[in-house]
Amino acid sequence: MSQVNKTSQKTIQQKTIELHEIVAWFDSDEFTLEKAMDTFKKAEALAADIEHDLLSLKNDIQVIKQKFDTETSE
Amino acid sequence: MVKIKMSPKLSVSEYIALTNQTLEYAYPTVEIEGEVAGFKINQGKYVFFDIKDAGASVGCFMMVYALRVPIEDGMKVIISASPKLTQWGKFSLTVRAIRPSGEGSLKKSFEILKAKLDSEGLFALDRKRLLPQSPQHIAVISSTQAAGYADFIKILNDRWGGVAVDVAHVQVQGASAPDQIIRAIKYFNEREVLPEVLVIIRGGGSADDLSAFNDELLVREIAGSRIPTLVGVGHEVDESLSDLVADKSAATPSNAAQIIVPDKYETIRSVQSSVRTLLPRMERIVSEQQTEVRALLRAILQTIDRQVDEKLAENQQSRTILAQLDPRRVLERGYALLRGDVTVGNEIQIETKQAIIKAEVRDVTSK
Repeated sequence: MSQVNKTSQKTIQQKTIELHEIVAWFDSDEFTLEKAMDTFKKAEALAADIEHDLLSLKNDIQVIKQKFDTETSE
Repeated sequence: MVKIKMSPKLSVSEYIALTNQTLEYAYPTVEIEGEVAGFKINQGKYVFFDIKDAGASVGCFMMVYALRVPIEDGMKVIISASPKLTQWGKFSLTVRAIRPSGEGSLKKSFEILKAKLDSEGLFALDRKRLLPQSPQHIAVISSTQAAGYADFIKILNDRWGGVAVDVAHVQVQGASAPDQIIRAIKYFNEREVLPEVLVIIRGGGSADDLSAFNDELLVREIAGSRIPTLVGVGHEVDESLSDLVADKSAATPSNAAQIIVPDKYETIRSVQSSVRTLLPRMERIVSEQQTEVRALLRAILQTIDRQVDEKLAENQQSRTILAQLDPRRVLERGYALLRGDVTVGNEIQIETKQAIIKAEVRDVTSK
């Protein structure tokens, strides 16, 4: 299992970076009031998505079959 | 196989071979604890020393490559060895493994090897690589039966999800532990797709239990790993050479899990907090823009006022100039205004302040 959301195909890290970029947009020269509300809603949705991913994703732990007690290859 | 007859008549070589067979059958491997004396390495390959206690001493032989930790005279050690009668009839122990025994010897061996590896720069800070911030694929080398491993997995699962964790189950104490860990490190380093980080963990134990992590070959293998390494061995107070050589050292296996992945609850709080700050930020921006618009309007009004004042002043100045140029002002000063063709015989009109006079031109003299 990886940190990929099946619907958006983005990892938690990618979503977090996207959220940081949106937050930074509010302080940038590109900010316009006309786009602000839509962008805010997008940030809210992204935050909820990240939270959902973090709480639902499980680690995939595999004990490998290779034995290390003797000098043998796989 | 040498056959024993009722009255054996053996050559010397046969006798030695028979004795060695008997020894090998009776004592394939023995573990002996004692003190090292007369330690020397010949031709860089062969190691000779005696192992002794208060009442006895036995000669030992081993190959230098089997020497995994520094050994000195006076050190208390445990050897794994096979007894052997040499072709010169001398009894000897062929040593397969040797490790310091007792706190003093362990510490001394640790310090000697630490100084040696340090002089080679293996612990230098500039060798340390950064671990990935939020890895998606990690490799773990540990004993899956160890409490330290269970602690690591629990904290890892509590803190983060979506990580592929490949676990190599190895012995983490005893004579075979270093080689098993080395093989596991090689295994992960030879993968086509490398894990992003290699975590080597073991819970607390005695100095002897943890001595596997002071094995020279293991320390060098960790140093040579292509994958960044995180080592968490023992408790907070324990320090192994594996810890020192790793890219990052964790105080405990639990601490290793804390280092390797972020805390999802902290991340969620941070994400929520950054979104919450947006609304006040928007309000502030709107307020700032309102203030700016008001300031602009005020500036425009002030400009209009100033321009009106300037035009009024200009007008006043023109009126003053015009007033000064008014012919009536000249008449008031006693001058007269003459109209008509000034030619002898013509009638002209003369205007003074008080009257308008008609007159005839009788004479014109040029000045």
